[in-house]
Amino acid sequence: MIIRFVLNGEETQIDCAPDRRVIDLLREDFGLTGIKEGCGSGECGTCTILVDGENRLSCLMLAVQLEGKSITTIEGLAGENRQHPLQEAFIRCGAVQCGYCSPGMILAARALLTENPEPTREQIREALSGNLCRCTGYQKIVDAVEAAARAMQKQKEKAG
Amino acid sequence: MNRVLLPKNLPELWSFLENEPEARVYAGGTDLLVQMRARCADNLVLICLERIAELTGIREDEDGFWIGACTTFRHLLNHPRIREQIPVLAKALSTLGSPPIRNMATIGGNICTASPAGDTLPPLYVLDADLILSTQSGERVVPLSGFITAPGKTQLERGEVLTQIRIKKPEGYRVQHFEKVGQRKALACAIASMAALVKTSPAGVIESARIAWGSVGPTVVVSPDAEAALTGKTLSPAVLEAAADLAGKAMAPIDDIRATAVYRRRVAANLLLRIGT
Amino acid sequence: MKSFIPEIGCSIPRADGEAKVSGEEKYATDHYGDGLLWAGVRRAGIPHGRIRGLDAGQAKNLPGVIAILTGRDVPGTNRQGIVHKDQPVLCTDKIRHCGDPVALVLAEDRTVLAQALALITVDIEPLPGIFSIDDALRPDAPLVHEEHSGSNVLLAATVDKGNAEEAFSECDVILEETFTVPSVAHAFLETENGIAWQEPDGKIVLVVSTQAPFRDRFEISHALGIPMDRLRIIGPYLGGGFGGKDGATVQCLLVLAAIHAGGRRVKMWWSREESMAAGFKRHAVRMEYRLGAGSDGTLHALKCRLYYDTGAYAHLGGEVMALGMEHASGPYRIPHTLIEGWCVYTNNPVAGAMRGFGVAQVSFAFEGMMDRLAEKLRMDPLDLRMKNALQRGDKNGAGVTMTHSTGIVSCLEAVGSHPLWKGKEQWMAEAPPFKKRGVGVAAVFNAMGYGRGLPDSAIAKVELTAEGKIRVYCGVSDMGQGNATAFFQIAGGVLGQENDAIELVQPDTARTLPSGSASAGRTTYTYGNALIQAAEELRRRIIGRAALMILADTVDELELLPGRVKHLKSGREIPLNILASVMPPEDRICISQFIMPVARDGLETGKAFFIGFPHLLFSYAAHLAAVEMDELTGTLEVKAYLAATDAGRVLNPQSYEQQVHGAIAQGIGYALCEEIKLEEGRILTPDLATFIIPGAMDIPDMMSISVETCETSGPYGMKGAGEVGINGPLPAIAGALAQACGIRVKTAPLTAERILEAMVEQQTACERKPS
Repeated sequence: MIIRFVLNGEETQIDCAPDRRVIDLLREDFGLTGIKEGCGSGECGTCTILVDGENRLSCLMLAVQLEGKSITTIEGLAGENRQHPLQEAFIRCGAVQCGYCSPGMILAARALLTENPEPTREQIREALSGNLCRCTGYQKIVDAVEAAARAMQKQKEKAG
Repeated sequence: MNRVLLPKNLPELWSFLENEPEARVYAGGTDLLVQMRARCADNLVLICLERIAELTGIREDEDGFWIGACTTFRHLLNHPRIREQIPVLAKALSTLGSPPIRNMATIGGNICTASPAGDTLPPLYVLDADLILSTQSGERVVPLSGFITAPGKTQLERGEVLTQIRIKKPEGYRVQHFEKVGQRKALACAIASMAALVKTSPAGVIESARIAWGSVGPTVVVSPDAEAALTGKTLSPAVLEAAADLAGKAMAPIDDIRATAVYRRRVAANLLLRIGT
Repeated sequence: MKSFIPEIGCSIPRADGEAKVSGEEKYATDHYGDGLLWAGVRRAGIPHGRIRGLDAGQAKNLPGVIAILTGRDVPGTNRQGIVHKDQPVLCTDKIRHCGDPVALVLAEDRTVLAQALALITVDIEPLPGIFSIDDALRPDAPLVHEEHSGSNVLLAATVDKGNAEEAFSECDVILEETFTVPSVAHAFLETENGIAWQEPDGKIVLVVSTQAPFRDRFEISHALGIPMDRLRIIGPYLGGGFGGKDGATVQCLLVLAAIHAGGRRVKMWWSREESMAAGFKRHAVRMEYRLGAGSDGTLHALKCRLYYDTGAYAHLGGEVMALGMEHASGPYRIPHTLIEGWCVYTNNPVAGAMRGFGVAQVSFAFEGMMDRLAEKLRMDPLDLRMKNALQRGDKNGAGVTMTHSTGIVSCLEAVGSHPLWKGKEQWMAEAPPFKKRGVGVAAVFNAMGYGRGLPDSAIAKVELTAEGKIRVYCGVSDMGQGNATAFFQIAGGVLGQENDAIELVQPDTARTLPSGSASAGRTTYTYGNALIQAAEELRRRIIGRAALMILADTVDELELLPGRVKHLKSGREIPLNILASVMPPEDRICISQFIMPVARDGLETGKAFFIGFPHLLFSYAAHLAAVEMDELTGTLEVKAYLAATDAGRVLNPQSYEQQVHGAIAQGIGYALCEEIKLEEGRILTPDLATFIIPGAMDIPDMMSISVETCETSGPYGMKGAGEVGINGPLPAIAGALAQACGIRVKTAPLTAERILEAMVEQQTACERKPS
């Protein structure tokens, strides 16, 4: 069936099986391999995408559910810019090790900061609690989200 | 290949259900799609309820709330009136799954999955929630307490869909408590959980107590004996311990991969002692 | 980002960071291709048995199935294994664990693959299984490997010095205890996977998530009978490894599939459940300890018996046990030791390398004994450790003289002077209602490198490219630990070039040179040393060739600067691209090998170890855990954590802290919740919903102190930092729990259930005591 949606800011349509998992569709048909798969059952968060700004698990969504939605993947996060402040902070703060959880973590953090631009460390930990990381112990990830939140606030002040 | 239907409104849903009586219905997909993955399911018809406007949203009236069955946990948690008026539910929601799961999963899904470990069930029991079950031709109202008959089994009939949940405001219940014991803080299936509503007089005498436990029986466990033992007393450790003993008798937990029955019974009863702090 | 020279000692951002946060980095999982085929494995599902027959008829007829292969289709020896070649690529007769592969299917897509796998029926005659160490050691036990020396003992060994049996009579206090730890999974987020294809010239290319691409080539060649020069293995960045990708996972299966794919690409990607069932695990171990000391706390004698459950195949079992035995006496001076070990085959999942390789297990035991001794003698647990801690010149428990950096005393001092230790009484006293608090410490160590019996070697290759840039050919994988960034810094530091002029090539048997596995805390040490030599040679060459161009009569007047060589006297400069254009390709490449030094003591013990014993270099750490236990639920929460680590000089403080944090977090998981539960060889915790690893809310903010000794043999004085940190949390947390409530748990993990049960027992015991 034909499914129409917005993918990383661009109107898109694709003919595919309605029960195709969204993760497979995006990775295989659109080449967006920044979305990872770690468990296939909603337990690890590596397949996180933003659906209308909300972080969701693309391994538990079927293609038909994309209809009419706006999807952001890690590849589209920065938009016109070279890097999103979260991506910049993840590198600078040492939040990346093997990097397999990083795209999902960054998108989950993006969803948090949209809703709560000045989160506490505890709120950051809670917001990232659906994304497992086996390398970092999470501390530098929390540092990075804090740093990005500050940077984004500064950007906003400059713009305003 | 499985067919997946995405009805936009209730009339469309009813016609899909009429044509596909064997269809499996899902909302967030966080339970059904996980089960299907394990079974390599094929040639099924799935109906996804997420786009049906009549099934999402929260409406408040004088006595309480009408909650659309496909309202996500995130939506509920972000609702200031729910947080303020029924913190026992909000606390349970905040321990459920993880943020992305809460962005997808729905309250109706949690009820209809009918897991003994369903996190919203103990609070909804103590709140005496009612369920509105609808078909093309009409609807009926059933109390949640009888709806779940066994793990994974409900009174839902063929062609029937849970459309609304009715919760009355627990007026005067000063203590609204929920606690879950899991293997970690998030992404944790309850080993035991407890929801409690306690109404006390200005002097601290318990006028009414409603308590329900999750994961210690095939469905939610309540203990009228324990509730009676609390009524008329104050929230002292001795009173709570006596009630906890009675509650333990009502439980019928099982051993599973997460915990033994012995631990479940012990910890579930212990949770009652926390109300005193 | 501004350009910079990636110098040693600075927290330069990771070389792989940008590609990873943008989603551009291509892990093995991210390779697809036109006409892709999917390969999958039908697994036995039965822990022990004999294959009577296999019917793939229905599966073969399914449209979209390309081939179904069994053991009979394997062209070579059909045997894999790092030390003992005892593991079939596809089983032909005997099944030894549930995850054993019996058939390999190639299909057009994953749906067809899943259907075909489900349609294959295997007729297996069940055999009585061996599911525990005691089962395995029974004299009449059925054999997991009939051809193996008539018993289920893969390896029995002794490490001793002095005379422990007699020495116990000289002790004022003797303590005994038995500890057990379960098997656990690495739970890397990128499960085992790869993609392979046959080139038109017949060569086979395999892109695979691996910690040991060069050993993989050897394994595949042996098992499938393919000459090594027909195989090319490419090892991109890994989505985690932790030891679990050190050895054969998908490699042989994929190459076998590629042979039958007619030049099409074949992808295999294990599901999480398959990874749990068929992937390697950390060994479950039982540890029986007897420790004797003087009344002043001076350790005098240690005797212990260690039993490692290695599962169905040898893999690295013997070597894991060897390292455990070498560390069984802790980082302490003990004059008399007798350490006996048995590594046994069972019909459980295959155990192998995992961060802390056999040592994470014994650390629970030796530090548990130290805590018990401190309690018995009413000594401060930190003082007791300090008193016995190894110093340079001492012999360790295996009899090796510590001739290199030995920083455990400094680590303990750093913990002892920290506010978390000094203020612990007050913090414990401030516990909220229903909570008990405790603070525990642990002293741990971890050897570096392969040990004797196998040269621990790396061969670095560095090139001045035709464009005048520096290219480092990394022969050893980066699974996330950050060695590639260290190589980036070493090349940048030695050659003085800026970050955008340095390029890293990840392991590829066609381009990089054999540098061993990413394991044993050896990657940066061994390859780094080789790279320093190669880069220095390249620097000399660049300056030497520039001297010819510039007609300088001495190289002393020339300096290598970013992008150019400068003649300091005249100010003349030669850009590196110009210089490179006149150098022939072979002149622009420098290659250098480094082999790690080994212990020189003439030991008369540990003779049973073929390789991997003893070691010369160790990293050390002292850990502190502050925990809060809930009396109503038994739940244990780590509230604060401190690690003081001696891993020599720090090349990159940020990378270093990443290793410390990550190891602590994994160690906290090992301490609190991680456990592979088995029932007759079947995994009851098959996924991440049941095998519980810590999430963001379960790990506290951690403090890391670097106690920088200088390891003179290491590149710029460094030692491996990756492993030692995982050994501390379990014993430190167990010690903290005992401080909190007097409960000494001797079985890991310290689950809420175990703790609450122990508290009930403790109460019952108290009530029973006559007053």
